[in-house]
Amino acid sequence: MSHPDGGILPNARLVARREYVEKVRSRAFAVATAILIVVAVSAALVPIGLRALNRGQVTRIGVVSSQPDTTARVISLVSDYLNPVAAGVDPATVRLHYVLTAQANLATGLANVRAGRIGSLLEVSIEPDGGLDFTFHGNDGPTSGTIQKLQVATFGAAVIVYSQNLPHTAGGPGFHQPAFDLQPTDGGSSVAPVDATVTGSRTLLASVMIVLIFITLTIYGMWVATSVASEKASRVMELLISAATPRQLLVGKVVGVGAAGLTQYLAILVPATIVLVLQDPIATALIGRADATDAPLVGLTLPILLAFGAFFILGFLLYAFVYAAAGSLVSRPEDVQQLALPLSFISLAGYFAAISSMATINSSSIAFLSYLPFFSPYVMLSRVMLGHVESWEIVLSLGLLVATIAGSAWFAGRIYGAGVLLYGQRPGLRTFLRVAIRPGGG
Amino acid sequence: MTLLLEGLSKRFGRVVALDQVGFRVEPGEIFGFLGANGAGKTTAMRIILDILRADSGSVSWRGRPNTALPRRTFGYLPEERGLYPRMRVLDQLVFFAGLYGVPLADARRDALGWLERFRVPELAGRRADELSKGNQQKIQFIAAILHDPEVVLMDEPFTGLDPVNVSLLRGAFLELAARGRTLVFSTHQMEMVEMMADTIAIIDRGRLVTAGSTREVRRRAGRTIVRLAVRDDRDLAWVAALRGVKVIRSLPDISELSVEPGIDPQSILQAALARGGEVTCFEIADPSLEEIFIELVGHPVDEGTLADPALPAESAA
Repeated sequence: MSHPDGGILPNARLVARREYVEKVRSRAFAVATAILIVVAVSAALVPIGLRALNRGQVTRIGVVSSQPDTTARVISLVSDYLNPVAAGVDPATVRLHYVLTAQANLATGLANVRAGRIGSLLEVSIEPDGGLDFTFHGNDGPTSGTIQKLQVATFGAAVIVYSQNLPHTAGGPGFHQPAFDLQPTDGGSSVAPVDATVTGSRTLLASVMIVLIFITLTIYGMWVATSVASEKASRVMELLISAATPRQLLVGKVVGVGAAGLTQYLAILVPATIVLVLQDPIATALIGRADATDAPLVGLTLPILLAFGAFFILGFLLYAFVYAAAGSLVSRPEDVQQLALPLSFISLAGYFAAISSMATINSSSIAFLSYLPFFSPYVMLSRVMLGHVESWEIVLSLGLLVATIAGSAWFAGRIYGAGVLLYGQRPGLRTFLRVAIRPGGG
Repeated sequence: MTLLLEGLSKRFGRVVALDQVGFRVEPGEIFGFLGANGAGKTTAMRIILDILRADSGSVSWRGRPNTALPRRTFGYLPEERGLYPRMRVLDQLVFFAGLYGVPLADARRDALGWLERFRVPELAGRRADELSKGNQQKIQFIAAILHDPEVVLMDEPFTGLDPVNVSLLRGAFLELAARGRTLVFSTHQMEMVEMMADTIAIIDRGRLVTAGSTREVRRRAGRTIVRLAVRDDRDLAWVAALRGVKVIRSLPDISELSVEPGIDPQSILQAALARGGEVTCFEIADPSLEEIFIELVGHPVDEGTLADPALPAESAA
């Protein structure tokens, strides 16, 4: 509808401000935000809590090899790595988290594992060339922190053992790359300690961000749809569209709800992030310095934050316009669910694609999805964090997203202009499509 | 220089909401739009406002098509009253005026002025869902006129108002008209139209039945109404013998007679006197709009409102 009321801005700003003020002032908003803050801060405190729980917990690992010397040396080197001593702390006061003990032979060691006297067994094989290979008998998976640390520690031990055994004459054997195998020992009574610092904080971070985007798109999208539907239900809509154009109302609504959403978001995110960033000082204060190690925010960089912000806002805009159009077609806020369902399926599909793509992040089908609007906010973000992305790909993805937002805003304006005067329609996809195709029809 | 509707047609599926409707309203006039529920009044108003597009026909104001007019040209009081339930009255009024481009400070001042004028200044800080129906209607009216539009469209503005508020609203109507504003209101209450409309249009099931100045429409019927009372003769049975005259209403102290064109009403008076009766009242008048409506449409205005089951309510349009 071309209209002499021209610009979107003055009225859209009024609508957005009203929407924002009414939303943020409402009791429901305050209650929901308060609850979410508590949840988020508690979630951010979980790692500290786990550390506190782990504080008294000791992981016992048996070590066995054919030569007691090698066993002792591996124990000493690996133990030093696994039990770091924070600077300025007297090593004598540090409570060890990992206790490594020599086992007489493999059979005894495995028997001790089964008996629960040790949690797992590290078997050191001495190769004919003097190099070391390692086999881990235990129930920890390859992603557990213990295994990750052990891999690094045993590699270091192998290097040191190799260098100390080098003959004084030149031309000794080349360095033997140590193998590290995992041998599950099911049935043992060993209890693998809960490990707070799961490897790949990037993966964790990416999952968290994708979940956050998913929540935003669905919940704040629903806010938009419900807000439009209640304006219809209270019949204030007819006055609104006689005062402002559908496009002004639509843009104002989306921006206003978006700003309210962003406010809630920051209200939640800021305290939670502060807790995460200050994790170590907080942990030190709560449970003592010696036990407070490992910051979980490794891998959070400025480009990632920017990408998150961009996909967060653009993704919201894209979905919000469609939600607004859906809201304009129902007569009562209760009916919004029915139209929102197909939308949340699309959102859910993108979410699942992004989460499940983490393993195969560099595949071409994932690359394709990362350009596709409605999916790109999830999938491209996941790629940016976990895979390899060329800058043109990000530009393409963002460009397509922005173009689609413009398209969906236009499309939503069309539906909205006709939909807001429709009452008593069956809320469903068919109504939606019919109005989209012929907005003037009845 | 007029509000001109020409050949407006609009269908909703199989239902014809408007069929070639056209009429004109002069600036500064109060225009009454008469019709039963579902007759097409709301659809016509929405088309004038350009929140609904006609299938064919056009609307213009002062020679410009309505699609080229800024929204602030019109003020609108929808039939389905609606305000933001949880928002304070003054905030809403300022918000709506703001959408029409009124600076917030001016809107605030004028809104308070109107609340004062409607004797409800205490409502300013109230939430809309705390208002009585009548008060909500006053607020709705203020929302329609706060930006001082050239044309005010009001859909059933008097429904649900008590006589005191009707007269307050009527005063506001007259004042706006005196200031050169054009007022269009729809109603199914004939007395409201008779009381304040300069011009009227009667619409029935999407078709325009008649339009013109109120007096002209009443005269056009050609019939004359005679109100007659004769002492000790309530039945006036002798009237049935007169050609072209019949009793259309018998009230306890007076009867209304319809007189066909060409019959001189004086002959009725003479007949009454000739019978030796004592005539206590004799009045010649034009037919009421109610009577004209029945004559033209075939039923009273509040009957047959659900003429078409496919059109559950006009707002379905």
